[in-house]
Amino acid sequence: MTTTPSLPHFRKKLGEGARRVGVGRGLDRRATFWMLYLPPLFWLGAFFLIPLLLMFAFSFRPDMSGDFFRLWQPSFNQYSKLFATGSYWRLLGVSTWMAFEISIFAVVLSYPIAYFLAFHGRQRAGFYLVLLLVPFWTSYLLRVMAWKIMLGTEGVINSFLTYMNIIQEPLTALLYNRNAVVLTLIYVWIPFATLPILAALQRIDVSLFEAAADLGARPIHQFLRITLPLSLPGVFAAFFMVFIPTVGEYVTPLLVGGSRGSMYGNIIQDFFTKAANWPFGSAMSMVMLFGTLVLVAFATRLINLRDLLE
Amino acid sequence: MNPKRPLLYSLTILTLLLSACGAAPATEVPPDQLTGTLSVLDWAGYDQEDFWVDFKNTYPNVTVNFEIGISDADIYAKMAAGNQADVFHPYSGWLQFYVDEGLVEEIDTSKLANWDKVSDFHKKLGQINGKQYFIPWDIGFSSILYRTDKIPEGVDSWAALTDPKYAGHISMWDDGPGAVTVSSYIHGYDETAITAEQLATIKEEWVAQRDLNLFYWAGEPELQEGMRSGDVWAAYAWQGSYALLLGEGLPVAYANPKEGRNSWVGFYGIRKGTENLDLALKFLDAKLAEATGNNVVNLFYYGHSNQDVMKSVTDPMLKEAFGLNDPDILEKTNFTPNLTAEQRDAWTAMWAEVKAAP
Repeated sequence: MTTTPSLPHFRKKLGEGARRVGVGRGLDRRATFWMLYLPPLFWLGAFFLIPLLLMFAFSFRPDMSGDFFRLWQPSFNQYSKLFATGSYWRLLGVSTWMAFEISIFAVVLSYPIAYFLAFHGRQRAGFYLVLLLVPFWTSYLLRVMAWKIMLGTEGVINSFLTYMNIIQEPLTALLYNRNAVVLTLIYVWIPFATLPILAALQRIDVSLFEAAADLGARPIHQFLRITLPLSLPGVFAAFFMVFIPTVGEYVTPLLVGGSRGSMYGNIIQDFFTKAANWPFGSAMSMVMLFGTLVLVAFATRLINLRDLLE
Repeated sequence: MNPKRPLLYSLTILTLLLSACGAAPATEVPPDQLTGTLSVLDWAGYDQEDFWVDFKNTYPNVTVNFEIGISDADIYAKMAAGNQADVFHPYSGWLQFYVDEGLVEEIDTSKLANWDKVSDFHKKLGQINGKQYFIPWDIGFSSILYRTDKIPEGVDSWAALTDPKYAGHISMWDDGPGAVTVSSYIHGYDETAITAEQLATIKEEWVAQRDLNLFYWAGEPELQEGMRSGDVWAAYAWQGSYALLLGEGLPVAYANPKEGRNSWVGFYGIRKGTENLDLALKFLDAKLAEATGNNVVNLFYYGHSNQDVMKSVTDPMLKEAFGLNDPDILEKTNFTPNLTAEQRDAWTAMWAEVKAAP
């Protein structure tokens, strides 16, 4: 006589089977996880985390004397010197403000480009995107140097204005100042800032616009009530993508900033390459890193980024 | 025990002894058969073969690998951090720390065939604590390079670099110790004993100078471009830039300031504990040789420590650039003294504060 297995019995069997399959899958997943994540984790650990930790340790070194990798008595020497020098703090503030300005301008100017690519590019959107990315094919230095040709006393702008008899003497205020740094960096960042905004805009369900139109929303209302709020995660991503590296920027100020265009990053670079004072340069870097992290944490809390992303 | 074994041992020892006695004294490998790899930490551009042509021609099978440092500070920091370069290239002012930190080997000059061609004066500049740790190699001046069409009245003092008449058209070298040197000449300070008060005055002056200065130059091409475009009228410069721009037909002159020009010397040192000591000495010796020296002078417009090379200069433009026409030029020249670690830290920090000032 055969008996039909009871439902609980069947469920139990099914559970065991599922667990077995689950265990197998778990192993596969774990192996896949390590295979995928180990190389980048190793890379980040070896070339980012360890140097960062070394720099942190170096910032507590009293000076440069002695073997580099011997153990040293931790000292707050560098931090106390740094805290006592007001001009560095002021420059950190100026650099942060410049980064803020540059990020705002870059995002505001990138938004229409991303909007156009997402909603009006049609079949040519890919081609326009390539056009946007063309500057990446040349070196960063070359693009910054091009601005010297634009802004110099014998540059494109001055030559044009002189030719048009608008000015008699070339304008010297165009290059070698902080405005030139801001202008150049906005240009450099626009393609970078466009990409996350574009990605956010492309994720918007177009049927929302149809529904809004059916309910009588005009284009401006559609933009303000649908497009803009739904693209905000991309906007904030673009903002931080520009803001964070710009605070520590040093190449562009070096090339177009002149005597008064230095940013905080230039001073850090000077302590590493012109002063042979790695401990002080490390302390300055740590302060900037900590400051940027605090600002970003504060800003994300303020704008409640998690809610936006969800 | 095998009775033949002691005999076998004796014969072997005898053979070894005989072959040892019969061998010729350790002969040098012919230069063209010498192999090996030498690592040199040098400045950008100095890796060109013109700058080590004698070594290349004499030891064609030795590989020379160059690593580039971007400044004296960078080279020093790299060596202090354990860089394994066999040979490195510091300049005046930046020698003392290598000795203090035990990073440099004393040079056995008896192994340098070209050593006698170097003047005693320049030899002495490479000595620290009475020992020859460095060999002098390239030599140059620092002074004010100016556009004669923009400054027809000429320049006769280092104070031109802080003169409001040239506002917006001055370019200072981006270097703290260089700035202290200029101020010391202007004020007559003893450069080797700058006090904290003097350093504070120097800082204030350079902060004020920032409004007159167009940009601080870090590399010579940047300065040369500024002079060509007419944006820069007066600049702290080395004579290589002067000779180059003069050769291009640009209306430029190189001042003989009343406070005296500055002179600097580039040296080569050997890393303490290098396994390539012999090869490094051969490299240094070849650096002092004539063909290399002639290239330094004729292609790059810097002086060379080999006196025979300098005596053979006939080009009037080069003679003018090196001041060879002026018999008193050395008396009117200030040589850069060696910095102490404290001076290095204080002067570079002062310069960073100038650049960071509101």
